[in-house]
Amino acid sequence: MRPLASSSTAASPRRIRWQALIAYPTLAVILLVWTFPLVWVLVTSIKRRTDIFTAPPTIFFQPTLSNYVFALTARPVLANLRDSLIIATAATLITLAVAVPAGYAYARLRFPLRRQLSFLVLFMQMMPLLGLIVPFFLMLTWLRWTDSYHGLVLVNLSVMVPTATWLMITFFQDLPPEMEEAAAIDGASRWQTFLQVMVPQAAGGAAVTATLAFLTVWNEFLFAVIISGSRVRPVTVGLYGFLQFEESLWGPLMATAVMAMTPIILVSILAQRHLIRGLTLGAVR
Amino acid sequence: MRSPDRLWDRGGPEEARPVAQGRRSASFLSSEGLFAWLMISPGLVLMVGLGTLPLVFLVSLSFFRINLTNPAGNRWTGLGNYIRLLADGQFWNSMQVTAIYTISGVALQIVIGMALALFLFRVFPGHKLLRTLIILPVILAPIVVGMLWRTLLLTPRFGALDYISYSVGLGSHEWLTNSRLALLSIIVIHVWQWTPFAFLVFLASLHALPVEPLEAARLDCRSWWQELWYVILPLMAPAIVIVAILRTIAALNAFAAIYAATEGGPGTATQILNLYIHNTAFVGLSIGYGSALGTVQLLITVVVALLFFRFRMRMA
Repeated sequence: MRPLASSSTAASPRRIRWQALIAYPTLAVILLVWTFPLVWVLVTSIKRRTDIFTAPPTIFFQPTLSNYVFALTARPVLANLRDSLIIATAATLITLAVAVPAGYAYARLRFPLRRQLSFLVLFMQMMPLLGLIVPFFLMLTWLRWTDSYHGLVLVNLSVMVPTATWLMITFFQDLPPEMEEAAAIDGASRWQTFLQVMVPQAAGGAAVTATLAFLTVWNEFLFAVIISGSRVRPVTVGLYGFLQFEESLWGPLMATAVMAMTPIILVSILAQRHLIRGLTLGAVR
Repeated sequence: MRSPDRLWDRGGPEEARPVAQGRRSASFLSSEGLFAWLMISPGLVLMVGLGTLPLVFLVSLSFFRINLTNPAGNRWTGLGNYIRLLADGQFWNSMQVTAIYTISGVALQIVIGMALALFLFRVFPGHKLLRTLIILPVILAPIVVGMLWRTLLLTPRFGALDYISYSVGLGSHEWLTNSRLALLSIIVIHVWQWTPFAFLVFLASLHALPVEPLEAARLDCRSWWQELWYVILPLMAPAIVIVAILRTIAALNAFAAIYAATEGGPGTATQILNLYIHNTAFVGLSIGYGSALGTVQLLITVVVALLFFRFRMRMA
């Protein structure tokens, strides 16, 4: 099937001109609306205080790194970033380790309760976060696991495991059956078929899932603010603490936000193809 | 991009091979059944242990009076929490705020996202750059988004948006602390962050539409408007419904952006159900009553999820 986009030759020249006339201004507005606030964060993070609180806002100013220095010395930003990195990495690795085999089994194998359990997977990824965190908080308090890495990883897994399993199911379903059948004819064991034939084919899908999991856990705030304490504090909670007590320190606040979001923006640029696919997959399929 | 008739085929091997439908699935003891259970069990243990059981626990907690500040007063109350809920003005207020926030937020994301996708769906120079840039709000932490709107954009006098509003004659306002503007402001923040998602999904769906009906429409329809209304939008209906349901579920889970921007205030003007649950359970430490509110939230989510499943079945 020809993609619609390539059929512009079929349209009359007048229609194309009219569309270009409307497309480019729309494009400019979109870029302004959705990127200006982010550029403004970056710009404010290198402004001196006297350049920040002006009306109208200053456009030309002497840039400074003092906000970054202040944020790094007065606030535990580095420790917060380290905690976020540990929690997001651990949660992503565990999620992948359980979601890839489970996704394969749900997508390709026949076993009792398969329909019921895949329905449960779909259901669990939609469950309300507030409904989860109330009992979770009580259980972690009893176990004395609040304010710990494993407590925060566990609570994040409650959402990530079903979401990632569902993504992996869709990726395995899309693979052609030929390779699997050939492996069976060659006498490969089930485990060999999975590990040596199916996993390499689903590597792209696993990358999508990993990107999405890392991003979600890194950005997570609700669980973190309730479960974390003085010892373990992800950067989202650190940033909120900063906002709560020093709302008027815009420069250091924005510098912290830039440092908190740089890893995420790097991941999104590196894994851009994966990311857009992962984000829109659930909706387009 | 896959063709539309494949979009909704999400079934497993049984649906893919109709022959297998009458066949009994492999038993527990067959090598396939055993192997499959070994493969799913780690994920299943985590999902049930960390997701399903806490939700069961949540529902049971809602029948108790539990307050962490006064453990001696903890006792069974049966439906006591639910009776209290019916007469709780804050609860009904939070339901109303949640409804306004969710419905208007989702509707605006769909209308704006669709409009932008229709304007831009032809491949033009720079469209890859546009996709890279427009995805950025979606990947930002909601807490950062709430913070940036609260400080840089909406602060009276020094915020960029407030300055623009003042400059064009709309005046400077207390966007987040005026009870009549705060709800509007948090809806705008939500729509700003998530419209790029709807836009990207609609863009992908438009590119996947079959060419033939559109070319036929081009000859039959007198205006671009007719083509849109009678041909493009009906073909896009599945994508619109899916985005509506997914975004409804996401809006029902909204928390961090509102928490950063208004903390539910002023008063209870922006206190969606999630914030009310949070304040009840984690500020007031009424775990029992908070669990009853959480159970209401669970019921709402289940209803939306069932709508989603019914829709998917109809499409399949």
